Amino acid sequence: MGTYILRRLILMVPTLIGLTLMVFLLIAMSPGGIGAALNVSSGGQMDSGTSKAQQQAYLEDRYGLDDPVLIQYVRWLGRVSPVKFGQRDQIAPTGEVVRAPKQLKTPPRYDVINDTLPEVEAPDPVVFDESMTQEEQTRAYRLASQHYTRLRADSIRTRTIYLETLGRALREIDQDKYVERTGTMKTDAPKRAVERALTESGMESEIRESLDNALSAYASAERARLELKAVFDAKPFREAGFPIIPGTLSVAAPDLGMSFSRGRPVTALIAEALPITLLLNFIAIPIIYIIAVPSGMLAATHRGSWFDVLSGGLYVALWSVPIVWACVLMLGYLANNQSGLGAFPVTGLHSIEAQDMTWLPSFNDGHFVRGFILDTLWHLCLPVAALVYTGFAVLSKQTRAAMLDNFNADYVRTAKAKGVPSRDIVLRHVFRNSLLPIITMFVSIFPAMLAGSVVVEKVFSVPGMGSLVIEAIFLRDREVLLANAFIIGVVNMLALLLADVLYALADPRISYD
Amino acid sequence: MTQAPAQTSEPKASKVNIHEPIMEVNNLAVSFDNGSGPRIQAVDGVQMSVYPRQTLAVVGESGCGKSVTSMSSMQLIPRPPGRFDRGRIDYRLENGKLVNLLELSEKEMRSIRGNEIAMIFQEPMTSLNPVYTVGDQIIEAITLHQPVSTKQAWDIAVEAMDAVGIPDPNGRMKAYPHQFSGGMRQRVMIAMALACQPRLLLADEPTTALDVTIQAQILELIQELKQTRDMAVILITHDLGVVAENSDVVCVMYAGRVVEYANVYDLFDNPRHPYTRGLLASIPKIGSRHDRLVTIDEVVKNPEEFKKLPGADKGITPWWPWNDAPKDLAARNEPAGDYCLHKIADDHWVGCWRTEALKDDNSPPPELEFRCADQKQ
Amino acid sequence: MPETQDTTRSLNPEAVTGVQLAQGIGHQPAKGFWGEAWSQVMKRPGALFGLTWISIIAFFAIFAPFLASGHPLIMSELDEAGNVVSTTYPLFAQLKATDVLLILGLIAAVPFFILPLGIDRSTRIAVAVVVSLQAMLASLIATAIRGYVTGRDVSDTIREMEQATWFPWAASLTCVAIAVLLLFWLVPLNRGFLRFGTSALVGAVVAVVIAMTWSVPLESFNYRQREAAGEISAVYTLIPLSPQQGDTVLDLAPPKSNLLAPAIKRLERSSTLRQKDTEGNRVPLSDIPLTPELLDSAISEIQAVDRLLPVHVTEFTTALRADFDSGQLENAKDLIDWINAQQLPTFVIGTDSLGQDVLSQMLHACRLSISIGLVSTGLAVLIGVTVGALMGYFGGWVDLLLYRVVEIFMAIPVLFLLIVAAAVLPRNTYVMMIIIGCVTWTGSARFVRAEFYKLRNQDFVQSAKAVGLPLRSILFKHMLPNGVTPVLVDSSFAIAAAILAEAVLSFLGLGPANQASWGRLLSDATNQVGDFVWWLAIFPGAAIFLTVLAYNLIGEALRDAIDPKLKKARV
Repeated sequence: MGTYILRRLILMVPTLIGLTLMVFLLIAMSPGGIGAALNVSSGGQMDSGTSKAQQQAYLEDRYGLDDPVLIQYVRWLGRVSPVKFGQRDQIAPTGEVVRAPKQLKTPPRYDVINDTLPEVEAPDPVVFDESMTQEEQTRAYRLASQHYTRLRADSIRTRTIYLETLGRALREIDQDKYVERTGTMKTDAPKRAVERALTESGMESEIRESLDNALSAYASAERARLELKAVFDAKPFREAGFPIIPGTLSVAAPDLGMSFSRGRPVTALIAEALPITLLLNFIAIPIIYIIAVPSGMLAATHRGSWFDVLSGGLYVALWSVPIVWACVLMLGYLANNQSGLGAFPVTGLHSIEAQDMTWLPSFNDGHFVRGFILDTLWHLCLPVAALVYTGFAVLSKQTRAAMLDNFNADYVRTAKAKGVPSRDIVLRHVFRNSLLPIITMFVSIFPAMLAGSVVVEKVFSVPGMGSLVIEAIFLRDREVLLANAFIIGVVNMLALLLADVLYALADPRISYD
Repeated sequence: MTQAPAQTSEPKASKVNIHEPIMEVNNLAVSFDNGSGPRIQAVDGVQMSVYPRQTLAVVGESGCGKSVTSMSSMQLIPRPPGRFDRGRIDYRLENGKLVNLLELSEKEMRSIRGNEIAMIFQEPMTSLNPVYTVGDQIIEAITLHQPVSTKQAWDIAVEAMDAVGIPDPNGRMKAYPHQFSGGMRQRVMIAMALACQPRLLLADEPTTALDVTIQAQILELIQELKQTRDMAVILITHDLGVVAENSDVVCVMYAGRVVEYANVYDLFDNPRHPYTRGLLASIPKIGSRHDRLVTIDEVVKNPEEFKKLPGADKGITPWWPWNDAPKDLAARNEPAGDYCLHKIADDHWVGCWRTEALKDDNSPPPELEFRCADQKQ
Repeated sequence: MPETQDTTRSLNPEAVTGVQLAQGIGHQPAKGFWGEAWSQVMKRPGALFGLTWISIIAFFAIFAPFLASGHPLIMSELDEAGNVVSTTYPLFAQLKATDVLLILGLIAAVPFFILPLGIDRSTRIAVAVVVSLQAMLASLIATAIRGYVTGRDVSDTIREMEQATWFPWAASLTCVAIAVLLLFWLVPLNRGFLRFGTSALVGAVVAVVIAMTWSVPLESFNYRQREAAGEISAVYTLIPLSPQQGDTVLDLAPPKSNLLAPAIKRLERSSTLRQKDTEGNRVPLSDIPLTPELLDSAISEIQAVDRLLPVHVTEFTTALRADFDSGQLENAKDLIDWINAQQLPTFVIGTDSLGQDVLSQMLHACRLSISIGLVSTGLAVLIGVTVGALMGYFGGWVDLLLYRVVEIFMAIPVLFLLIVAAAVLPRNTYVMMIIIGCVTWTGSARFVRAEFYKLRNQDFVQSAKAVGLPLRSILFKHMLPNGVTPVLVDSSFAIAAAILAEAVLSFLGLGPANQASWGRLLSDATNQVGDFVWWLAIFPGAAIFLTVLAYNLIGEALRDAIDPKLKKARV
């Protein structure tokens, strides 16, 4: 069994890679690409006088969006992978993962115009004094980092101006196909085109000047980068994970990146949201099983009775109720004060006053105080109700079908011929064998519930994974979306594995060894 | 440890009068619902009886009603769609009292099933519950009917497994059915059936799914247990070889009715009904040369064959559903009223049309106490 | 001997033996596999309800443009004296290619299925399916082309080309050629000329329709103003409002109110009608006397919505004043009733937050619901069966590789993928169908894989291989019919699930743009402020529920009819 579980865990890796790649490509396929939302919610070190193209270039550089999609994905994968190559990352006290500054981009096709890159002198290595406190080390890193960020922004700005100049020059000589819609030259334009732009457009001096600016900005930015690298190499922060081969291979917790829109580590966001979603599901799933399995059994043993017919009809009807409708109706008629009963809270997971409550219910001056736990449960009533009702139908029908299937089995006839009372036949023989499909149903119920919580959490404003996903989608927050896909995939596949293990325990015929 | 079952079996056997039939099937009719169409009459007017220490073989092609008859005596026919239309199955309890198995309540029936009458089915592969060990399943049968502790039940179960020739019974008790071969599973089924010392064993094609050597072993085992325990056996089969080897009395069925009923020597030597003759003629015999075998059809489609019965001149004609009824049919106004099981000679019954000649034939179910073992002595 | 036979029969008339069955007594004529299943389905009241409801929805899906439209059926231009100058038919001018093709298809289908053409029923059904597929594919390509050439960042050459008169014809011919060529070999007619003829005829019709409706005139609903100004007179359809036709002042008008709803809303907000008695309860409207001041404010509110009305506003104000003077109106309730009783276009079940008629939107949304369910499930089954067949038949590394893909879809909730895909891809109906189809195919793939895995070692497949049949024939002609029945039966549930998925996506604001949808209407029922609009919750929600229920009931009945286990349990 141990080897089987290990094999399944290893097989999860390609599936997770495929899954996140699919989500990544989907986001990349969107009009405007991954960075579309960034343009709206920009922010950073650029002056207000900069052009849109420069701003975009800055943002693309900041989030690594100017590389091909697959390279971006591989970079993401490298961050998530627990096995890491090269220099180890460091973890700042805020929880942010700090890694060595990445290579700076040279102005494209500079070699056509200007043969050499300006020389950049390497700074002396930095060594922190033993006496320096953590705060001082952090400050040193922050200073170097801010300096580099500023110069890098400058470098990107001049680089974009250079590209814009080239773009204008190319338009001048009717080579529009090498010009982006933003007016800059395409970075993969052939050398010949650049040469022609230089010689034929009559803008040679302008181009050379912009390139000179770009190159000098590049040089000072590169110098700042090396300085920052030197500080980083002195390890101002705690290093992440532990080394296998020092300097080349290490193992560390997956880094899910920083949310574009919230500016916080995604890990922290998920750590807040996932327990809520799991809580919803772990309240809902037992309820489904407790109600649906006995009613399915009863329907099977009393096949054709009024209970069978009625419960069958009721469950098909419940199954057909769109979850969005159920949510809206409950909100309108049970929770809303004006149009409905107002018996349940409309939104959220806690009342505002719940922060001051004790955990358990209590009496205070003769007033009943719910306490934190009851308050939470009260808030969960409607979301859980919205989650469970479809599950009843699926599970109850499956139980009934499995039981009926087994009623026809030969071993039931044997048991009858032995003189086993019919109650024992149902419970000991038929139900025991019907457990298998009931366990299998978990495989389809669990993902459906995870998906259902997206809608439920949205409607009832429960701050779980579903709300996180919806928000991330509307903000095109790549990091949050990918991390969500990744985490939901992991949770889901662990649940499927659990179902398979239970299956083997329930059925002696199945052995995974 | 080995003494326990022997002690329980002694008093059972001693009380029994082996000269009284243990079970009598009288005019049984069972039909099944068929959705929109008319009901399907599976058996109609079936009569037979079986004595202790006797093997009654019920023979016929598939769908002739053999299994329905045996399942009816255990009330294992699912109702609905099944329905007992008529007739009775009388079973003689240990104290000599007769009960009608068709009218027992579910609770009374439970004390009969497994305890008085045990049954072996033809699919050993699926007849055991896959999720319990075979030990569990045998012990379940024992504790249901005998006031014994689980420990004692374990010993009885091991003894039963040993009796049917399962090697290492103690160890195999903890194995699951899928860990046994087909033949071993059928042995487990027999062990389970015999664990409670039943007085009647219904073996519904117990060897059909097994290969020939295993088949012989299983049948030999049943024969042996029958002798040692004064048990009656109803052996349902379509294999005439099995019948010749293992049975004392043979009941040939066709289309839900008995067409011939006689002891095994009589039937094989002197078959009276054309269908039986066709059946026997279609078996190749070792030691005699045939250009080609006679088919059943060749016999039953020959009108001359139906005139060979003693009393044919009086209008006694073998019943055959494919033939038109004789002109002098004196059918009674009741189901299966056009048919009667007529005693054609001593200890030999043939299913005939109820013609004028047999108008008043109200012969009781055939009672034929005949055991091959007695003959040999 | 008939006599004796009769006695035999009459002896036990309610039961027969196997021999009698074989002799033909009590024998029932056998129906085909699907015929038998169908007759069982038709016995279930639930399934009958489902079929009826879906027929109703399908009817609205086809005829919605003719039942609910803000464009007049007939519009007569009037001169100053009120004489008819010319007559036009704006509704027909506004029809889209799909509208026309659906109607034409329906008209053609009736004689095609009734007339004795010498072809059997299954062929007719197959021809109808293929023909509709061709038409659909052609209009899909046409939509894609139109979307491309009218896109924002298209080059000037293409833009010029698009303006040319020949362009629609060339484009539509291209679409049809592609569609017909793709599906030509599917037309199940053996006779060459019929096969060619059907395809060519349908292709030609589709091409003409697409070309004629290539450029859709801009929708503008200024008919009412022009009517009020006396420029035109117009005859409208049953519901004289288009789904997209709305005015923000008409937002959330309750059921049974009319174009004057904003006036009522404003009046009800005024302090005169919100009086409270000494105990703090609202004074009922019937107790508030209709004073001349109240009348004046009512008249000024009516005049404020002047621009919405198809007649000159003074007609109402003078009539109101006349009725007030004659003493028919005594209190505020009478006033409200009077306004609601005016002969004006009425919002039978209210309006949404954009002031658009709910009923009209719901009728137009039928087409989205029906087509999303059918097309996306069709696509899912097509992909699923093909991939599943390949996996099951070949096994080995093909299976290993493709099954990883299937596993990816198992590892993540389908709805999550749907939401991501719908959020980032263009918001249009076809894209949504493709998304749903591409995300939900794994169920049938897994099923067909398991079936084919069993089938491929069976003798009939081995013998088909031994005879040297080509792979396509082995897979699709010999194995598929044996393994695909349960997938087809379950597709009824898949359709229901697709409709639910569409509703959820539209509810989340990720549905097709500019398209009436039940889910989108439902999302208007609640808002962040906590208002609850009951008519937006009840009607669209019930429509989704009933449609999903209908498909689920049909699916249940079909599955019960076909499931061999349940059959076994009967005897």
